Amino acid sequence: MIDPLWLSLKVTAVAAILIFTIGTALALWLVRHQPRGRTVIETLIMLPLVLPPSVVGYYLLIVLGQQGPIVGWLGIQTLFSPAAAIIAATVVGLPLMVQAARAALASVDPALEQAARTLGCNEAMVLWRVSLPLARRGLLAGLVLGTTRALGEFGATLMVAGNIPGQTQTLPLAIYDAVQTNQHDLTTQMVLLMTGLGFVSLWAVRRWEPSVGRAK
Amino acid sequence: MDAPSEQFMSRLQVHAHRRSADFELDVDFDIDGGILVLFGPSGAGKTSTLNAIAGLHPLDDGRIVADGTVYYDRAQGINLPARQRRLGYVFQNYALFPHLTVLQNIAFGLGRHRDRFEHARQWLSQMHMKEFADRYPHELSGGQQQRVALARALAHRPRVLLLDEPFAALDRVLRERLQAELRQLQKDLSLVVVYVTHSLDDAFAVGDRIAVLQEGRVLQQGPLDDVFQRPQSEQVAEILGIRNLFRADIVGTNLDWLGLTLQAEVTERTSGNVAVYIQPSEVKIIYPEAPVAEGLLGNLFDAEIITRQRHAAGWSVRVRLSNEQMIEIHHATTAYSKLDLSTGTTIRVALRREALQILRRGDPAS
Repeated sequence: MIDPLWLSLKVTAVAAILIFTIGTALALWLVRHQPRGRTVIETLIMLPLVLPPSVVGYYLLIVLGQQGPIVGWLGIQTLFSPAAAIIAATVVGLPLMVQAARAALASVDPALEQAARTLGCNEAMVLWRVSLPLARRGLLAGLVLGTTRALGEFGATLMVAGNIPGQTQTLPLAIYDAVQTNQHDLTTQMVLLMTGLGFVSLWAVRRWEPSVGRAK
Repeated sequence: MDAPSEQFMSRLQVHAHRRSADFELDVDFDIDGGILVLFGPSGAGKTSTLNAIAGLHPLDDGRIVADGTVYYDRAQGINLPARQRRLGYVFQNYALFPHLTVLQNIAFGLGRHRDRFEHARQWLSQMHMKEFADRYPHELSGGQQQRVALARALAHRPRVLLLDEPFAALDRVLRERLQAELRQLQKDLSLVVVYVTHSLDDAFAVGDRIAVLQEGRVLQQGPLDDVFQRPQSEQVAEILGIRNLFRADIVGTNLDWLGLTLQAEVTERTSGNVAVYIQPSEVKIIYPEAPVAEGLLGNLFDAEIITRQRHAAGWSVRVRLSNEQMIEIHHATTAYSKLDLSTGTTIRVALRREALQILRRGDPAS
């Protein structure tokens, strides 16, 4: 159980960083610039939430595969390596982060950002000193939800990273194996562990949610 | 760093044009020191004007210059970003940063100077709020938040101070105190202040000059007293809330107000139907027995008292004249103490010829 847990934590940690930075940047872009075709873009970002993991996995196979841009343009082989597991985890966690971050950033009073500008801030400073701190609860909530979703990722990971013990076998995959091989005790342990992690993160999000018990 | 004793600039010229889907702003005014009140009904473009000066709204034409520094000039292609305009802006709801303490709020615009908190503390004590340094904005009363907002706007030593309905949410006593403090600060720092309000009290209490706005345009500007004594048009008089505004026909050198003949200073250029007003404090009540002073003899009328109300500065009496029209009279608490001014009593009032102001007709087309 230690190997898959350790791998899961490493994969999830890297995915968490990617989810947070990419998700916040996407949310900022959507809120600040209101790009054309925003609804279409937002829908595309949300899509992994509702698609079957096999569909997400198939798209990732195309993108990461031998004919895909990552190999073709960058020459980077990722399939069936931990990197593929990280990418799969990031893709499924991102929608939750973007959704939460977008709501949190949009709720920051524009007058506060204006005030910061009249006090000598450029756009980066406005972001760093006003917008992000004020959106922090929503950003944290999005990070925790997205990361937890990434930790539980199974289907797409199986398709692009495989199920190689010690290399790409994360905790959810190990649970699948343990069930297949009738290791009841091991299964129970891992299932309880995943349940505990999920419970703690959802509980934390409830506490951080901007609408719950926030001093005005 | 002793900012309060330093001398700043004192001239601001504004010409700003901005057209959006449902509103056109086209304002033109300038100030040579002192406090300019931007006065007008809501939706007149007062806040838009402040945002234009601050550089928070894009403009499509105009020129804004503060003491030689060009903020905006369409022709020269200059548009200084808000952060470089060095102005103080007190927003309508103060816009204090809720995640920062009072001290951090005030130091916000002071960059990374090592002594920025020291400087912020000086401003706090100037505002009599030393002990609130470590509180958060939501722990302060409205008046305290207002002071913090003012300190924050002034701490980075602006040339221009913009205030958007700063005292609207405060009670009278507090408002009067802050109005006085603002006037003092303006003098001490030689600031140019643009003060947005829709309250006459506010305008009189702080203003040196006034610009009357409606639908994105300046209808009239000038020294406060001038504008109130001589509103250029009926629109201006109406926006300023001037009482006793009525329409009358010019007949020879007199006015005919629905059957009441008034002597007035009619010039050859005015004719037809005009708007006329008399300030409530200019309407005099005549003692029945006492001899009437020469100047009051002209327009003497009987009037019935309809209501009488006490105000902070005295009494306000509404009377009905023989032509069924109402007139409002303001008088000091000590005046007319020997007269019976109860409701229903008939008194004599004088509408002095010199006090009757004939207004330029408002042009409804523009």
